[in-house]
Amino acid sequence: MANMDSDSRHLLIPEVDSEINPGPMNIQFDSSDLRSKRPFYIEPTNIVNVNNVIQRVSDHASAMNKRIHYYSRLTTPADKALIAPDHVVPAPGECYVYSPLGSAYKLQSYTEGHGKNTSLVTIFMIWNTMMGTSILSIPWGIKQAGFTTGLCVIMLMGILTLYCGYRVVKSRAMIPSVDTTTWEYPDVCRYYFGSFGQWSSLLFSLVSLIGAMIVYWVLMSNFLFNTGKFIFNFIHHINETDAVLSTNDSNPVICPSAGSGGHPDNGSMIFYANDTGLQQFEKWWNKSKTVPLYLVGLLLPLLNFKSPSFFSRFNILGTVSVLYLIFLVTLKAIRLGFHLEFHWFMQTEYFVPEIRFQFPQLTGVLTLAFFIHNCIITLLKNNKNQENNVRDLSLAYMLVTLTYLYIGVLVFASFPSPPLTKDCIEQNFLDNFPSSDILSFIARIFLLFQMMTVYPLLGYLARVQLLGHIFGDIYPSIFHVLILNLIIVGAGVIMACFYPNIGGIIRYSGAACGLAFVFIYPSLIYIISLHQEDRLTWPKLIFHIFIIILGLANLIVQFFM
Amino acid sequence: MEESDAQRKMEKENLGPRMDPPIGEPEGSLGWVLPNTAMKKKVLLMGKSGSGKTSMRSIIFANYIARDTRRLGATILDRLHSLQINSSLSTFSLVDSVGNTKTFDVEHSHVRFLGNLVLNLWDCGGQDTFMENYFTSQRDNIFRNVEVLIYVFDVESRELEKDMHYYQSCLEAILQNSPDAKIFCLVHKMDLVQEDQRDLIFKEREEDLRRLSRPLECSCFRTSIWDETLYKAWSSIVYQLIPNVQQLEMNLRNFAEIIEADEVLLFERATFLVISHYQCKEQRDAHRFEKISNIIKQFKLSCSKLAASFQSMEVRNSNFAAFIDIFTSNTYVMVVMSDPSIPSAATLINIRNARKHFEKLERVDGPKQCLLMC
Repeated sequence: MANMDSDSRHLLIPEVDSEINPGPMNIQFDSSDLRSKRPFYIEPTNIVNVNNVIQRVSDHASAMNKRIHYYSRLTTPADKALIAPDHVVPAPGECYVYSPLGSAYKLQSYTEGHGKNTSLVTIFMIWNTMMGTSILSIPWGIKQAGFTTGLCVIMLMGILTLYCGYRVVKSRAMIPSVDTTTWEYPDVCRYYFGSFGQWSSLLFSLVSLIGAMIVYWVLMSNFLFNTGKFIFNFIHHINETDAVLSTNDSNPVICPSAGSGGHPDNGSMIFYANDTGLQQFEKWWNKSKTVPLYLVGLLLPLLNFKSPSFFSRFNILGTVSVLYLIFLVTLKAIRLGFHLEFHWFMQTEYFVPEIRFQFPQLTGVLTLAFFIHNCIITLLKNNKNQENNVRDLSLAYMLVTLTYLYIGVLVFASFPSPPLTKDCIEQNFLDNFPSSDILSFIARIFLLFQMMTVYPLLGYLARVQLLGHIFGDIYPSIFHVLILNLIIVGAGVIMACFYPNIGGIIRYSGAACGLAFVFIYPSLIYIISLHQEDRLTWPKLIFHIFIIILGLANLIVQFFM
Repeated sequence: MEESDAQRKMEKENLGPRMDPPIGEPEGSLGWVLPNTAMKKKVLLMGKSGSGKTSMRSIIFANYIARDTRRLGATILDRLHSLQINSSLSTFSLVDSVGNTKTFDVEHSHVRFLGNLVLNLWDCGGQDTFMENYFTSQRDNIFRNVEVLIYVFDVESRELEKDMHYYQSCLEAILQNSPDAKIFCLVHKMDLVQEDQRDLIFKEREEDLRRLSRPLECSCFRTSIWDETLYKAWSSIVYQLIPNVQQLEMNLRNFAEIIEADEVLLFERATFLVISHYQCKEQRDAHRFEKISNIIKQFKLSCSKLAASFQSMEVRNSNFAAFIDIFTSNTYVMVVMSDPSIPSAATLINIRNARKHFEKLERVDGPKQCLLMC
């Protein structure tokens, strides 16, 4: 038989036209689709003058071509059994793309990420996804930890979560002999820990989702209440004189919790002697008693939609809100000026010590603030240059840290301490501005709309994960979905009425789900895979166990604060 | 998507009488009995579940794989989980809750293979007690009248001991019921092994299998659906099954020389596996047999969509002419002529005349004759 293996290396003889720009495909495929859609065509051989023509297509290639075409006729497109695996198809580096003009250029070698996103776009997407409502609690967190401690903690948590994110991204590459191109992080957990891994990662992912949805509900009630109050006061030309503590100048900052002995609740006490209309309004528009319920009527129908793709168009509102918050904070800081004093251990009348023992509350908030580990693989898959993944991830984390630091530091530093104490900084820093303040009114409106569009998306994600795993069908019937939505909405309403401390909710749910996805799973999987390859050394083992202990401590200590 | 719907529709129309399992039968015994297959000789294709038998059969016999794993789940069918009839080969496929397919043939097999052979496909070993019981209780029925046993081993399997154990129990059954059967072992999925280790691993396995199979003789092949080894292995198997193949080859050579053909190929009818060939000069493409087979099978699939069946084909250009036509009741012939001045009609007459002689050869007891043309 003729020697056929020697020409299996190169399929085609290239005629590279150097002027053609070898850009990769402009269509973004899902990796699993790509394998079944991968074209395997060879140009038709001219068989008229068999002996004259230079062999452009090897025998091996044309045999494989016929084979693949024939096999593709034997099954449905969905059946993966007869799809050519990667190791029998020539590597991307050996494929050429023909232009109709007859010349060919070589495809740039691409690995799993057939993405079209440049580094800048990827970094922006990661930043955008990470920026959530926890940004509103960062100043409070800094206050709880003390200024210096707070800054150090923010930077250290950023680095720690970045390292764990790096471990997540690299986890797929360490799995031998299995095709992991379509895997997300829960699939990796299932590979290492069996169905326990799958169920537990589902559970923790749901914890973070439902925690986020509850926070959203509380915030939405808050913002809706303030917006309504602003509009009502504006229409009726009421100049509010709150009974709460406030600064007496043109940029009022209020301290809502001072009046009720440091225990924040959502009641604001406004007494008007002779105005029954206002009393009526006050009765029907109450932050913790009625507004959360009005939201039910608005949002519950939206949650029942089968596909929330309509809402994903409003994704841009999130970025706009964050940028507006940055602008708002800068403006307020310019107007209010800086008020910082450094007392290291003592609590003074207006300032908090630099080092406080409540700093775990900040770490809890930051675990959720820096959380992206359940979808980082998907986000980086679309990066054009996969070798820059680590660099882009680090840049994104740096950007996020800088944003949090900026807002946290500015709000904390510019909080007018002589009349008010730093302890007044609320868990949602917008609460420190009265509802008559127009700049924060605009911020609240932005955030309200943004949250209303993200809420159905979160509900859809929770529904897909929960119902998909329990019933196997993401929309079993309207009743299943309705019951699930009622539970979620009910939880949100109850929290909004009785425990509207978003800082608390964020730190509990953050520490809980961060425990699994940020601390335990990446480190444990790394240790196990190193052990399987016999590359485990004592320093690495100790370091990663230390990370796991940190995660556990993070969760446990939340309950003691 | 339309082709699969049309295919499925056609398969539904060919459905024979549906066999319903009787309700209330105790576990482990199957109410409906395998009909008497004493008349037909069988080719058993066996191997562990997931070793690639269904794909192999689909590729060799050009059958559409219809893997439908919707669950039925009610009363007695809970036992069986899901039942699906693939009518082109009348196999029952059981799909259990994990998604593994277990297939077994019942009669009404429509694929005639080399005249009177019927292909039966069995998953062997490693299933739940239901299948174990069924297998044991029907063992004699399954292993009676076997002409060929083809046992498929997955080279990546991690349970070598178990695989060998099941193989041996099949051999015992063969020894009891059909001691004259020919045994072939296919070490499958070789593409998953590194290229430089393939020969080594195959030799190891071959030695083990030869040793285990004594006193029976087995031939081993290494195969993979992603290269030419599967086609070659099955061609070798078919070659060994033809009773008077040397005589066939000699007559083929005479035929080719008489009609001045460049190459003459003889294909088995159902699978287009090359039984024998004659070429008068060196051909460039070593993979041409498999390619032709795949092309024609693909064409047959297209024809079947229109409820048409492929009979013959002529391809001609200024350099050559090729004729593919039905030859005997079990074979197709392909004649390649490189002299374009010979008109098609002449070659077709030659083929037609040769047909009669080769038919006589196929009848095993026919007198030995040389091919003479006047």
